[in-house]
Amino acid sequence: MTDKALPPGSGTAEDPAALAGGRIVVDGRPLPFRPGDPIAVAILRAGEQPARGGTLCLAGDCPNCLATVDGVSFVRTCQVPCRPGLRVERHPADGLPPLPSVQDSTLAEPPRHREIHVERREVEVAVIGGGRSGSAAAAQARARGRAVLVMDAADGSEVVAIYPGPTIVARTSAGMLHVHPEEIVVATGVAEIQPVCPGSHLAGLVTTRAAERLHAAGVDLGHAIAVGPPPDGVPCDPVSGRLVGFEGDEAGHVRAVVMADPATGDRRTIPCDTAVLGLGYAPRDVLARMAASGADGTGGAAEAVRVVGPAADDHPLPPAPADPSAVVCPCHQVTVVDLEGAWDRGFRELELLKRATLAGIGTCQGGACLPHVRAWISERTGTVPEPFTARPASRQITIAEAAANVHIDAFRRTPLHDEHLAAGAAMDRFGGWWRPWHYGNHLAEYWAVREGVSIGDVSTLGKVVVSGPDVVEFLERLYPCRIADIQPGRSRYALLLNERGHVMDDGMILREADTRFVLSFTSGGAANAEMWIRDWIDAWGLAVHVLDRTMSLAAINVTGPLAGRLLVRAGLADPPRFLRHAHAEVAGIPCHVMRLSFTGEAAWELHHPADRSVELWRALLELGRDLGVRPHGLQALFALRLEKGHVIVGMDTELDTTPRRLGMDWAVRMDKPAFIGRAALERTARLPDHRRLVGFTMDGPDAPVEGSPIWSAGDIIGHVTGSWHSPVLGRTVLLGWQKRTPFPESVEIDGRLAVVAATPFYDPEGRRARA
Amino acid sequence: MPALDPIRGLRVVADPAALDAARWTAVGGDPGPVATDIDRITVLRFASDDAFALGATAVDVDDEHAIVEDEPGFVGGWCSLDDLRRHLEWSLPGARPVLCQGLIAGVPAKLWLPDDDDALLLTAVAFADVLSERLGWRR
Repeated sequence: MTDKALPPGSGTAEDPAALAGGRIVVDGRPLPFRPGDPIAVAILRAGEQPARGGTLCLAGDCPNCLATVDGVSFVRTCQVPCRPGLRVERHPADGLPPLPSVQDSTLAEPPRHREIHVERREVEVAVIGGGRSGSAAAAQARARGRAVLVMDAADGSEVVAIYPGPTIVARTSAGMLHVHPEEIVVATGVAEIQPVCPGSHLAGLVTTRAAERLHAAGVDLGHAIAVGPPPDGVPCDPVSGRLVGFEGDEAGHVRAVVMADPATGDRRTIPCDTAVLGLGYAPRDVLARMAASGADGTGGAAEAVRVVGPAADDHPLPPAPADPSAVVCPCHQVTVVDLEGAWDRGFRELELLKRATLAGIGTCQGGACLPHVRAWISERTGTVPEPFTARPASRQITIAEAAANVHIDAFRRTPLHDEHLAAGAAMDRFGGWWRPWHYGNHLAEYWAVREGVSIGDVSTLGKVVVSGPDVVEFLERLYPCRIADIQPGRSRYALLLNERGHVMDDGMILREADTRFVLSFTSGGAANAEMWIRDWIDAWGLAVHVLDRTMSLAAINVTGPLAGRLLVRAGLADPPRFLRHAHAEVAGIPCHVMRLSFTGEAAWELHHPADRSVELWRALLELGRDLGVRPHGLQALFALRLEKGHVIVGMDTELDTTPRRLGMDWAVRMDKPAFIGRAALERTARLPDHRRLVGFTMDGPDAPVEGSPIWSAGDIIGHVTGSWHSPVLGRTVLLGWQKRTPFPESVEIDGRLAVVAATPFYDPEGRRARA
Repeated sequence: MPALDPIRGLRVVADPAALDAARWTAVGGDPGPVATDIDRITVLRFASDDAFALGATAVDVDDEHAIVEDEPGFVGGWCSLDDLRRHLEWSLPGARPVLCQGLIAGVPAKLWLPDDDDALLLTAVAFADVLSERLGWRR
């Protein structure tokens, strides 16, 4: 045993060779490195440790050299080459490193982020691992004329994930690399087994390959002893017997290895500066398992993946860890006692033990603990469990790396988007579209509809044309209302139900000819409705053509008592009557004019080519200037519809809402022989129901917020879906759910009395809408 | 810098066999900045029963129930494939000419690839602004 300071590490700043590479900054102190040094090696050469201790593998398999590098925490310092000025901060001995940049940021000034470049490549064969077996596989593939890409962390391409597709995600010095191969060869070799015994947390423990690497780098290991097969070319003393544990000094460095005679059990303590551990191998197969199982459990990319070389071989498991205090999982400090505790609580499968103890979900993703946990289970059950599921990412990646080139959902803009902005609209996202919430004064917009004329952008409504010899038969089966008696030029409101009789969507059915209809749907439900239509046409084998015009046609709703007058000014001499529709020019623009009403006032929707929308919008505003025309946003529209008690599917409804629960049995013709949902409605009609959407009114100027709980006799029995203090009615009107019978006639909302009231609250006879 | 411009054409949904035999014509008018030569109508088959004929103004299709509409719902722009590769997370088909579709910069879009160099990028007009912004294209 030598008496020098804590080996391994004899290199110093005075060593001229050490200065050749430059200096990195470790915890604020400059530290020299040699060309080619990974960070961990440079730190060890200086006689220090890259982390808190534990057996170093220097191969990227263990969690024992993690540090914060240039502001990024949990970086494997053995995998990162030094460069001048690189900043390294060791993680705290207890606890986690602080989150970078967050402390000084606000919502207004978020933390600075790096722009991560993403390169995409398509190859025929991707080989992960550039060692002997990987190189051989690459050569074989090239010999077959295949285009090959070899990725190896040592060469700057660290693969962190394989997704179904397959798509390989690798981290490179230039950013992220997304590779789309036809075939994947995993040649990742083997990892060295880590010790699980008392003292395994000490510094000065290295694996055999790490010892060889340190020796080659000129790092003095001091007095080294080898447990297991000795490393090639590294001066050390082999010891025999069964490894019992390690003894260390107060500084946390190993000072001796404790071995036991396998035959007698006699123990002996062998002093050392460094313990070199050759405890066996385990396949480095996390990526192979990830590819086989898939990131989302859908089967992954198994058919395209081949594992070759030592990674594909069977390797004996280590002895089952026995000492109760021994740390099995160094990432989460899971001990044998922890495993036993979880086992006793009934978590007796590998996946369950992982979840119960956290062993295997840490930074090394089971690289250190998995062989030991499998051995521990095998000793108890007599069966070796398969390794647990591997999911991306196998290495720590930053959020910026994970999010590189990833976009948030794209929200659609109507052709009138810029017009809304120019008019001062506050825009918000609804149903996948940007829509005007208001134009600065939602009350003025509301009154324009109730007393004058207003226009609204309803381009977002779904618009689907269906045509064909079987179209009537199809629609009769699709909708719960009658279709055959809708005459050309007429329209009908309809619910769209699923097989369980639940409301999926609603809209209008407009007949254009004997075999041609236009169907409208809600903005948020249109895409789903279109798929629904196509699926059923295919399922029933009916001859019906479908064309989705949602994004090809814009739509403007002209509504209010003066709306008809405005349309006449725009050249529509005879606007269609209620629930009728016609094709006509408005302000010189071809429109499909539909008379209906969602606002409770006279209303015409003008469906027109998207590229003429701005022209029509401006013309209507100009022609109606002296009528006080102004645009209205969603805030006013929602209030107007609430006064009429009109339901908005998705806002007022839930996934299992039936027509009966909405009080809309009138929209269902049970005397039709068949339609989607009929059987379920027939069955449930005989059963008592305990839910209903009803209207409420309450006094006071303040409307409760939507979502407010509805109370009765001290219990919450539902919630508010729509709420508005109606200027025209002089009271607050609400829609809300009652979900407990008997349904009370009065409830408490927001600490006030609310009384059940019939809907529509406004113009219950519908005279204004039909005027 | 490429740009997304309005595309002119006819959209037809009809029996596949009838669409195969359809006779397209382009009569006068400006075919638009991205449409092909007015005498050379490019028919993009979105599906077996669904065609978008760039530059076409009329069609003779033997299906009395065919849906035939002027199609103002798309914008498009010519570019090189290299302009787009980093925005794709899916593999391009090898055949040419070919129409393919998927997310480009996270936006639903279609690609018409007449050869190995050129690409006509199409998207719904409702996505025109967001796609232009993400691609850094002129709008």
